[in-house]
Amino acid sequence: MEFEVKRERLVLRAGGGKWEWHIEPRYWRNPLIFVGALIVLPLVVYFVYPQGLPTIIEANLLAAIAIPLALMTISTGRMNFGPQFYIAIGGFTAALLSIHVHLNPGLTMIAAALGGLVFGFIMSPLSIIAGGLYYSLLTLLFPLLFLEATLIFSDLFKGDTGLSNIAPMISTGNFKLNYLFYALISLTIMLVYLFVMDKIFRSRYAIQMAAINDDEEVANSIGVNVNKVKILGFTIAATLVAVVGWFYAHYYQAFSGQVFLPLSFMLKIFMVTMLGGRTQIYGCVIGGYFIAILETVLIRTTGDMSPVLFPVILLILLLVLPEGLFGLYRKRHYREYMPTLRFRR
Amino acid sequence: MAEILRVSNISKHFGGLTAVNDVSFSINEGETVGLMGPNGAGKTTLVNMICGSYPVDSGKIEFLGKNITKLPPWKRCKMGICRTYQIPRPFPELTTLASVCVSALYGKDRPNRSLEDAMTEATHYLEFVGLFGKRNVLARDLTLFEMRGLELARALATQPKLIFVDEVMAGLNPVEAEKAVRLIEHAKDQFGVTVLWIEHVMAVLMRAAERVIVLHYGEKIAEGPPKEVADNPMVIESYLGRG
Repeated sequence: MEFEVKRERLVLRAGGGKWEWHIEPRYWRNPLIFVGALIVLPLVVYFVYPQGLPTIIEANLLAAIAIPLALMTISTGRMNFGPQFYIAIGGFTAALLSIHVHLNPGLTMIAAALGGLVFGFIMSPLSIIAGGLYYSLLTLLFPLLFLEATLIFSDLFKGDTGLSNIAPMISTGNFKLNYLFYALISLTIMLVYLFVMDKIFRSRYAIQMAAINDDEEVANSIGVNVNKVKILGFTIAATLVAVVGWFYAHYYQAFSGQVFLPLSFMLKIFMVTMLGGRTQIYGCVIGGYFIAILETVLIRTTGDMSPVLFPVILLILLLVLPEGLFGLYRKRHYREYMPTLRFRR
Repeated sequence: MAEILRVSNISKHFGGLTAVNDVSFSINEGETVGLMGPNGAGKTTLVNMICGSYPVDSGKIEFLGKNITKLPPWKRCKMGICRTYQIPRPFPELTTLASVCVSALYGKDRPNRSLEDAMTEATHYLEFVGLFGKRNVLARDLTLFEMRGLELARALATQPKLIFVDEVMAGLNPVEAEKAVRLIEHAKDQFGVTVLWIEHVMAVLMRAAERVIVLHYGEKIAEGPPKEVADNPMVIESYLGRG
């Protein structure tokens, strides 16, 4: 067996065979390397530092919320500040059906997705009626209204304490192994979202969303049915976010509006989106991992001060990196501005 | 020549201000019609109503014999109405190729149109306006003249029957303005479109238009061949004031 390092590739010769790996930076952009690293990460953490698994799960879920949010932002040309509303829709639907009807997690997922679909469709005209600041304020308002509703109808939603005794998604009997499976399932959800969005953003539908994002009046005047695109984009994104709510419910085996509906949770999602790079789906993954790890490190090192330090550090980062972490990359590849459009040559 | 557009008694009010008042006219297929008037005469408002950007307060718009008064802009575009803007409105974050590709994909319905087909067609329109070399440049990085070319390419890619060209000369130097005028004339010849040309530079319409409509304070004050309109005392008064 012979191993040779050349300028742009590694060469392995064994027996009669020869294998080559390109190590030029342009090949590092291969998504399979990125996906492979994400799959290997929880397995490594499981053996090396199992306490880190909840952080990975949180990172995957934050990214899984931010990725559909990118679709919602691009297709409507507006920033939604209330994605946690759809998390709560999915979470409460799953929790209520699991506790009262004893549905298994597979069926509650379908119900949560349907809940997200229905509420997303009902809410979607907002993106047509309201624009700019009004849209942002309205979307910000709905989760808070829902939070009030959970307190008013505390018989149903159990108010501050929230719903508990939800059936777990995984029950192997081994605590550590459960977390590993949760990490892999959350990763699967995130990767499926990433794959679907990547396909959408490379397709002909991306180009009309890009046009709407830039100037919806002009897009409308050149034949793009703006309202249809907005309603579809909004509804699909709401459905996908609701599925994350379903995961939270079965993962924690409890679901409370006090955890997911307040502004603090929205701030986290907002920061994932902004730090990753607004409307950049790969940036959402980077942002998700960055925020989840930063939050865990702050809680473990600064304790009670972390709720104060966390937003302060993020605000400083936003000032330093106004275009997000992905913006650093984007500056060098200006043609890949949002949304990233790639065409088969 | 068959009638392509008929506008009957349309009006538009913004609060107490009457922008367009009871205007009627028609355009025949293959014609180049000039729409002129001093600043604030209601030219762009009229075009916005015909394209569907503004709802009509009263009156009726017919295109190819069909009532389109209540149709949304994208449906009017698919029927064959398209426009350029007085202040260019490119898609700033899209490349010029992608910008024109949107029109080629979503303009006039073309069955089994793929993204690749649309890209190929978009390059044709970019070549026509002289922007093929800048196909991968972001629209926001173009010069004003290039943006106007891009707007024309974007409008032509929808395969319109009737195109509204809104003050194409604004902000251009004389050489660029001459090029722009020739480009529109070529577009008319090559793609067989009917042109409604909005302009307040009279010299351009004298040369290019077969018929001119003049608006003043939202009302139509004259219509006819350019020479006749230029000699009309009401038109002279609207431009130069009363002596």
